[in-house]
This record gives sequence, structure tokens and C-alpha cells, in this order.
Amino acid sequence: MNIIEIKGLKKDYPLGNTVVKALRGIDIAVEEGEFMSIVGPSGSGKTTLLNVIGCIDFATEGSVKVGDREITVLNDRQITDIRLNKIGFIFQTFNLIPVLNVIENVEFPLLLMKNQSRTEIRRRADRLIGEVGLTEFAEHRPAELSGGQRQRVAIARALVTNPDIVLADEPTANLDSVTGAAILELMKEMNRIEKTTFVFSTHDANVLKYARRIVKIKDGLLSDN
Amino acid sequence: MKLVLTIAWRNILRHRGKSLVIGVILFLGALLMTVGNGVISGMAAGIEKNIVNGFMGDIVLISEKQKSENILLDFMGQAIEPITTYKKIKPVLQNQDIVARHLPVGKNLTLVLKEDEATPGGAFLLGVDFAAYQKMFPDNFRIIEGRWPRPGERGLLVPTFAREEMANYMNLWVIPENGTVIKEHMKKETLEHIDALTVSSNVVMMGMASGMNSTSDIRFPVTGIVKYNALSTIFGHFCIADIDSYRECLGYFTAADKAVAVPKEEQKLLNLEGTDLDSLFGVDPLIVSNTRAPGGAAVPGGAAIINNAIVSGSSVTATPLGVENGIYNLVLVKLKDGVPYKTALGRLNRALAEAQTGVRAITWSKASGPIGSMALIIRGALFVFVTLLFCVAVIIIVNTLTMAALERTSELGMMRAIGARKSFIGGMFLGETAILSSIFGGAGIVAGIAAVKLIPLFKITSTNDMVQILYGGDIFHPLLGTSDVLITLMQLVFVTIIAAVYPMHVAGSITPLDAITRD
Repeated sequence: MNIIEIKGLKKDYPLGNTVVKALRGIDIAVEEGEFMSIVGPSGSGKTTLLNVIGCIDFATEGSVKVGDREITVLNDRQITDIRLNKIGFIFQTFNLIPVLNVIENVEFPLLLMKNQSRTEIRRRADRLIGEVGLTEFAEHRPAELSGGQRQRVAIARALVTNPDIVLADEPTANLDSVTGAAILELMKEMNRIEKTTFVFSTHDANVLKYARRIVKIKDGLLSDN
Repeated sequence: MKLVLTIAWRNILRHRGKSLVIGVILFLGALLMTVGNGVISGMAAGIEKNIVNGFMGDIVLISEKQKSENILLDFMGQAIEPITTYKKIKPVLQNQDIVARHLPVGKNLTLVLKEDEATPGGAFLLGVDFAAYQKMFPDNFRIIEGRWPRPGERGLLVPTFAREEMANYMNLWVIPENGTVIKEHMKKETLEHIDALTVSSNVVMMGMASGMNSTSDIRFPVTGIVKYNALSTIFGHFCIADIDSYRECLGYFTAADKAVAVPKEEQKLLNLEGTDLDSLFGVDPLIVSNTRAPGGAAVPGGAAIINNAIVSGSSVTATPLGVENGIYNLVLVKLKDGVPYKTALGRLNRALAEAQTGVRAITWSKASGPIGSMALIIRGALFVFVTLLFCVAVIIIVNTLTMAALERTSELGMMRAIGARKSFIGGMFLGETAILSSIFGGAGIVAGIAAVKLIPLFKITSTNDMVQILYGGDIFHPLLGTSDVLITLMQLVFVTIIAAVYPMHVAGSITPLDAITRD
């Protein structure tokens, strides 16, 4: 079953008097439980594609379905709810709320959902922190963690709500190769344990070996799938 | 809510510098407002206490014909309308269980004349029964030179303020009969021209009651110089004379007066036939000596009351009817403790109307015109000042919080990306402002309350007349009521909300894409 369906997706950015065509007609479908990588050089449109799928940016043209919902017609509140309930995010650099410690950061999306008890929230957050190997750092603030540890927290937070999809935009870009590899291993492990669909972008060829499906993008068009 | 407040509180600690700037502004604003309200309330209470207890009572009865209700200090306005029905008013007041005491008085403007001075001075004149006055206002002033007039004696009490005015504008230094010049009682500016002063133990006054055509300039023997205990600048305009002299000065002549007190120059005119014309310019003074015995009824315009009938003409001989039949201008009423003014006014006005007294009751604050409203005016000025202060505070807080919101674009955008609604982001900023307001604004209010409570312990006094007005008396005694604190709290809440609205909007407008673009 397709968790993401994209047809004829175009995205234009006005830049002064000209228009930058970031995406020029993308058609793609992602099945549930996939571990997929979008690769391409800088400026190819991979981040834009992830942003549109993640309801962070809006399509200029075309259809984008996440789950069974067409997201191009939703208002801000509905979009926010989809981001909260259906999608988990792992960003390249800015990831955690600096004033909250590890466990509070992981709990944050669950507290926004307001549909679970405090005990249940804490139990689930504890489990995920354990799975990413940060139990002993649970009370630490982000500033007290390394880059790799922060990304682990971000992975735990992305998974804590049991989302349908986790989107990761170059999650290893700011990490050394060892840490980056560990993060990708962890994502793959989470994909296996939680059965969550992972879509991540990268321009690092070394990362590709972790992906079960690779989609190449160039100049706003899919070049290889 | 807990999550919002937790993040808000930790952000306050994280951005201590900005939080401190906002906090100090809120602290100072709340402190100034609280202390300011305390000063104004103290002033209002002081003015009320001094005017009610020392000068005017709670309620003032004025003639129904009286147009302006400002009967205290109205230099440019009309004269106070006479009240001729005190005989009817007295039993009405005596039958009211809400009335503690009352005092009928004459009150009008007079010109102070000096024989070698072309320009007259001015002073208000109160005509009273001295014994009754002392019972009504037992401790509003003290006599610093001379003495009280004896029972039945004609005399004038001159306040220090009025004496200084006469010295400065007329070069006249008034001392009591048999008194001496006491230089210690002179102000510095008076001492500077002491050689030019004429020392006198009597004052010539001419009443200024409109429509009376007062022809008698009355020479008042000064029996005492008085110093008001508070608000001398206000009360010091009023010289106090016996009621009979007052009535003569204002032209409220009695029939008896008309019969016996034809001025000498008029007698000369009457006897002109066969007389040398030069005798008209004799050496006898034109000013009537104020030595007539007390008593006798008086009505305006030179008419006379004879057995309660008004008869025109000055050649009528009449039997004096007693002081209470005469003319007054006001009746000052002190209420029993705790009687609300609204209740008192309602009851008194009904009773006075039923008795056809031709007078109406008004409160002391209305009767004292701008003086009674002074607290309100200064409170308004303070409110404008604090509002301006708060406007500046709001601008600074808005600017600081907006900058904070923009600096946190990545963080806020990330929160939005993982599912935080605009209202959550806005709530964080409102929470930050609310926490700062609660802590610093609350501290400002508490500090203000403490200051207001502590200030009276220092017993700060002033002899400066203007400062005394601000103090509401001679001692600086700010007061804070619950309503004052509530007003400050409401202002603080208002400032908090206004200051947070724009930053909330800015923060709520930050999208995840803004965060990514910025990153």
C-alpha cells in the first residue's frame, strides 16, 4: 500500500523578477515500511521534495497524498495536525528544543497530541530513548550532547508518536563518518522494529548502501528510481 | 499549559539579559503606579479630611438661586447668594439624626482698602458666630498673635497667608490690637521691604456681594492672627469676622442699623441748608466705625425685616430680631460618622424642600470646586504619565520580545514542523510576558505597597504651601486602598497582553520553512 503518492508535482520559487523551478513534474509513490533515500547534488530539489511531502512547503502544481489525504488542499491547522500525527522529522542541524532535556524533547510531540496520560507518555519516551541508547543522558540538555547524540534524540522524537512516515533531510550531513554511519544504522534498525516508513535525502554516496530504495533527482526531475 | 509555562520559564532564564530589561521596566512601572496611586489617594484623603474637618463640613447648604456650586474659591465668579431662611433650616437640620453639627456662615469676597493705596487688595470674608465656629472646627488653626474675640465683641481674625498678601500687595502689616510687630512671623520677602510697611491693627474691608451696593467700608479691629494647621494656601484666603460686622460689610443692613447708623457725611448732607459747604470736606473719617452692638435682622439691598416683614427704606426704626433672623450665605453641615453622602444628600434635600427653605444640599467636594477635584485632576495627570510610561514600556517589551522571536526562528520553526500550533507558539510568548509581569510587576506592586506603608513612619512634614496641597495636609501620608492596587494590577495585565500581542503574532507567523531557509 502506498503511504505517499505524488503526481505531477511542481514547485516554483519567485526570485526577484525570475522564477526558480525547483521541482518540474515529479511522479513518485512510496510504499509503507520503505527505507528510501533521495539522492542528488546540491540544488537538485531533494530538500524541496521532502519539504512538500512533510507539509512544510506547498506544491505549486500537482497532487501530493500522504496516507489517504490530499495535503495540497488543507489549511494550516489541518496541515499542522498531519505533521503532528502522521509525520516525524529529523532535520540536518536544528532539531531539539534547547530549554528541554532529552526526555522532555522526546515527550514534546506526545504532549502536543494531548491524547495520552502522563505515565504513558513517559513510558513511551523512556523506551525510545533506550532504543537510541541515550538512557543515561535522559536528563541532559541538547547543549550537553554531541552532534550524534542530538540526532539520536531527534530520531527518538520522530518515532515517539508512531508516525506513518519519518522524513530526514541529510541527517548525517554535519556528522563525522563513524557517527553518520551509526545514525543510519539506527534509522534502519528503527525501520525494522517500528515498521515506520523512512525517507531521507543525502548527497553522500557512502550513505546509499543503507537504503533499500534509491531515488535520484536532478534539476527538479527524477532521473532514476 | 504546563508545557507552555515550562518552556516560557526556561526561556526567561536562558535569555536573562532580555528578561531583566523587560522585568526592570515592569518593576518600575508597577512601583511608580502603586506609589503614585498611594500619594494621590493620600492627598485626596488629606484634602477631604482637612476641608471636611477643618473648614467646610461634609455637606454645604446653598441657596437654590446659587448658580455655581463652587463656593469656596471663586475669585472671578458671582457672589454667593444670600440665605434668608436659616430660621426654617435650623429645625430641619436638628431633626435629622444623620447630622452631627451645623454652622451657618456668611461668606463672600471683600476688597481690602488702605487709605494711601490706590489699588485695593482682596480677601474672602467669613462671618460667623465665633463660639459656634470653635465648636464646629475646634482645631483647624491656632492663634499665633492676639486672641479670639470675646463673646459679643466685634473683631476680625486674619490668617497668616492673607496678612502676607496684604503686606506684599498693599504694604500693610496687620497686627492685633495692642500687639507688636513680630519679625519672626514675617516671610523673607516681607522682611525685605519692612520699612515700606504700614503697621495697623485694623483692616478696612468693602463687601463685594453683587446687587447689594454696599456703601459702608467697614473698619474691622483685628483681634488675632491665625495660622491654619494645613492647607494654609487655600484656607488662608479667608479672614473670619463676627457675623454682624460681616453683614454690615456686605450691605446686609438691618432696620435698626438704618435707623441708627446713618453715616456722618450723610447726616451733613441732610443738614446742608444754611451750612457752610466747606463743612462737607471736614476731617471726620468717611469710613464707618465698626462699634455697633451686635444683633438685628438683615436683608439684602438695604431693606429691613420688622417682625418678619420686609420693609424698604432707611428711615425705619425697628426692633432687632436676633442673629438667626439675619442673612447667611452658607450652612455647613457635619454628618455623623459613616453616613454615606448620597443618603445624606437625598434625605436633606427632601427635608429642606418640604420645609420650603429655598436651599439645597451639596457635597463638600462640589462646594470646593477645583480644590475638591484636585485629587481627581492630579490622579488623571498621574494616569496619563503612567500610561505614557507604560506605552514606552510596551514599545520596549514588544521590541525585545519580537527580536527574541526572530532570533528563535529555527527553534520555533522546528516546533511548528513537529506539530506545534500557532496558538502554542503564541502562548509561549504570552507565558513569558505573563511570568515576567507576575514576578517583576508583582515585586513592583509589593515594593510600592511597602513604600506607601513605610513613608508615614518617617513623618515627613512640610510647611511649604504647595507641597502641603500635594500632601493633602501638613504630613505626607500616602494611602493605598484595595481599588488602587486592583487598578495597578489591571494596568499590568493590560500592558502584559498588549506587549505580547505583536510578538505572539510574529512568532506564530514563523513557519518551518522559515526555519529551514534561515538554517
